[in-house]
Amino acid sequence: MTTPATSQRRPQAPIAPEIPERIQRVGKALVAPLASVLFAFAVGAIIILFSGGNPIEAYQGLFCGGLGVFCTGDTYGSVAAPYRISETLVFTTPLILTGFSVAIAFRAGLFNIGGEGQLIMGAISSAVVGIHFATWPGWLLLPATLLAGILGGAVWGGIVGVLKAYTGAHEVVTTIMLNYVAIFFLQYLVTGGPLQLPGQTQVSPPIGVGANLPKLFPQAAQVFGLPGSVYRVHTGIFIALICAGIFYFLLMRTTLGYEIRAVGQSQRAARYAGVSAQRTIVKTMLIAGAFAGLAGAIQTTGIYHNLPIGYQNDTTGFDAIGVALLGQNSAIGVILSAILFAALHVGSSVMQSNAGVPASLVAMLQGLILFSIAANFLRSMKLRLPALRQAPVGTAPLPPGVAAIETEMDSSAELDTDVKA
Amino acid sequence: MSTEIREKGAWPASEQQPLAVEMREITKTWPGVVADDRVHFDVRKGEIHALIGENGAGKSTLMNILYGLLHADSGTISINGQPAQIRGPRDAIALGIGMVHQHFMLIPVLTVGENIVLGREPVTNGDFYDRSGASQRIHDISSRYGLSIDPNTRTGDLPVGLQQRVEILKVLYRGADILILDEPTGVLTPQETQDLFVVLRELVKQGKTIIFISHKLREVLEISDRVTVLRRGKVIGTVPTKETSEEQLARMMVGRDVLLRVDKQPAKPGQVALRVEHLNVKNERDLPAVRDLSLELRSGEILGIAGVEGNGQSELVEALAGTRPVASGHIWVGDKEITNSGARKTRKAGMGHIPEDRRGTGLVLNYSIADNMIFGRQRDTAFSWRGFVLLLSSIFSWAKRLIAQYDVRTPSAETPARALSGGNQQKVIVARELGSQPRVLLASQPTRGVDIGAIEFIHRQLVAQRDTGAAILLVSAELEEIRSLSDRIAVLYEGQIVSMESPEVSEERLGLLMTGGGTRTAQG
Repeated sequence: MTTPATSQRRPQAPIAPEIPERIQRVGKALVAPLASVLFAFAVGAIIILFSGGNPIEAYQGLFCGGLGVFCTGDTYGSVAAPYRISETLVFTTPLILTGFSVAIAFRAGLFNIGGEGQLIMGAISSAVVGIHFATWPGWLLLPATLLAGILGGAVWGGIVGVLKAYTGAHEVVTTIMLNYVAIFFLQYLVTGGPLQLPGQTQVSPPIGVGANLPKLFPQAAQVFGLPGSVYRVHTGIFIALICAGIFYFLLMRTTLGYEIRAVGQSQRAARYAGVSAQRTIVKTMLIAGAFAGLAGAIQTTGIYHNLPIGYQNDTTGFDAIGVALLGQNSAIGVILSAILFAALHVGSSVMQSNAGVPASLVAMLQGLILFSIAANFLRSMKLRLPALRQAPVGTAPLPPGVAAIETEMDSSAELDTDVKA
Repeated sequence: MSTEIREKGAWPASEQQPLAVEMREITKTWPGVVADDRVHFDVRKGEIHALIGENGAGKSTLMNILYGLLHADSGTISINGQPAQIRGPRDAIALGIGMVHQHFMLIPVLTVGENIVLGREPVTNGDFYDRSGASQRIHDISSRYGLSIDPNTRTGDLPVGLQQRVEILKVLYRGADILILDEPTGVLTPQETQDLFVVLRELVKQGKTIIFISHKLREVLEISDRVTVLRRGKVIGTVPTKETSEEQLARMMVGRDVLLRVDKQPAKPGQVALRVEHLNVKNERDLPAVRDLSLELRSGEILGIAGVEGNGQSELVEALAGTRPVASGHIWVGDKEITNSGARKTRKAGMGHIPEDRRGTGLVLNYSIADNMIFGRQRDTAFSWRGFVLLLSSIFSWAKRLIAQYDVRTPSAETPARALSGGNQQKVIVARELGSQPRVLLASQPTRGVDIGAIEFIHRQLVAQRDTGAAILLVSAELEEIRSLSDRIAVLYEGQIVSMESPEVSEERLGLLMTGGGTRTAQG
């Protein structure tokens, strides 16, 4: 190096000495999601109160039913916690995968509303392979079935990516439309179409036994005092967790992920760095579709073992938007919020039957969580409560001549909106 | 420094003038930072008072307090001798204070007139917008202050200088007597700046008081009556403009002596590093922006491109950097033709590029500094395994070395670029682009919006890079920067090089050439 400039370099100014920067950042990242969940529960409690219910009992039912915790007292003592957890995990699995589908698209600046359509195409493709090659041995059939699902979803996402990149068609519109195409295609297949089980209505023949994902518990034995066959939880949850690793690695440790994030922030910057925004968008949507398609394949191989028409009432791909938003598009965040959403979903029936609060409260809670994230309350509260405002990094005493801080600019930028008084 | 201090007396702001603004003991803290520390700030009626300081010195905070956008933790404000409680911009406006922000707050699709009256529209019979009444009042104001403008033009169609005029008219329309101008010249061309100064003098003549925030010392010396210098939240001093100099102000701002002149040896040009032949490039609207341009740039020299903004500089640089298609013509780096080969291959061929738009193009603000330090070279084998998997430890050691070498002030390499000051953000880009020792460096507005300490540093780095054999193409809106750094100056006018000049050329001649003044007549 030929440009030495460090002769009078001064020691690094420490920031907020007691807390390392990394932990500060993690803490900061947790504040908004936690606050929005708390907000949702608080508003939910008020609504329950006003409609004559008991919020404490209702939330106890929700958590007992969803997570198997707080199952005490006369009302909930009889709830089988392990069974509830098993059910929650069943719902968590596709939520994690579709959550990644939405999250990776978000990272590239794309709003993937099409998780549901991609999931359904994954379910269809995997069912086709699982049914058609039903005689294959399991070691071959199961991977082939899952792969088919991945490809089916990837194609469905890829179409969106190509349209966005090369014609500028907005992904929100195309994904919503493709959702309809997928759902009607499925309806056609199983109601009079080529995949209908002869003599049955609205369901396909079963996939080959070899394509079934193993359950977590032995079906024949007694598990936690119940027959093992009541536990639907299957090994798909491990696939979802492996995918979390893949998602993180892809996004944070590969050049592709690096470029996806760059495109998401600024296409001009991407072009400057020699990244083709168009190709990156296509790749992103292929990957997004693949995650959602895998979710569909796992539903086929782990839960339904055929292609039911019930997908028309499925909302996983839409809940995934909430999962990704609440999870801030990060691997861990998506897992945690998928568990939360799944637990709310599973717990709602217990809440309804035992506390008498309608299960639709859960849909409202989910809505409130998203609402408060979208409305960015915390940000607007910062304007009123200066104490909450985070000082930018590097605010400790700095040597003269250092322009360290953007406090001025940031604050005036935030406040500029108020100027039009 | 050939700074001529303007004649005073023409618009006196005598010592006996009463105070228009009196800020006492103003303190404002953010968690962990004192933005303003017991600041005293007085402005006399009818003066142009410059408020200067580096980024983060507390200028904007102080003015936002005066305009009611922020509230001081302690301290008092008096306006025209009366203690004032300013709870918000509404109070400030009622007290006759107006603020023209650095970034315009105009609605581009509305007409000039509509923008000016927005929020205070004159009405007839209750609720109907009185278009002719509005025009009349705007006409009154603009003729009174010599701010001619057509109120029926669509605001978005106006050049930047005129948009600023609309902002000033808006403030005057609301009855402001004390005008705060936040870095008003940052976006203006030299000519527009001069026009603005004429307007400001006229306003002062009519009894207005002006607070002028800036960090361009020459402009401050030219326009102001007094200067207050802030450094790290404290007032360093208030001096009458005629009794100070550029060097003194710089020292007060930075806290040490600053070398305003670039210290450099004569260039030793070597082989041709960049060759451009008959280059044609189109702009966004598909109109020719660079027309049949040819040039040669040798290693070890700095070629400055002077020109009024919008004469093809941006398009030229982008075409050379591979981020904009070349319509026709050829570009070589050394022996390698890179015409239309995209940013990645161009960079590989040895082209570095400091882009004019730092935040939107040169950096990904959410990335860490380390990630930004490889931006554009993420697929190099030095930073990724076969171009696929990022090699984090190599990236970090590379970033840490550059941070140390280029004196980027940051808590760590993991800090997001967003958290850095403008000057440090620019240092990240400079470090990245110089750190790989490019054969050719395109430096576009390398010090725009950067404070004086960082400017000095970046200039030194550019010269050092030149001395080790880089060929540098420098594009800047600051003529002073072009003249002090360049070994040769090319004047760009309407996409063509109209003249090659030596750095000793007079500013007047450059100005004439830049505005299309004949190359033949100018000599005489």
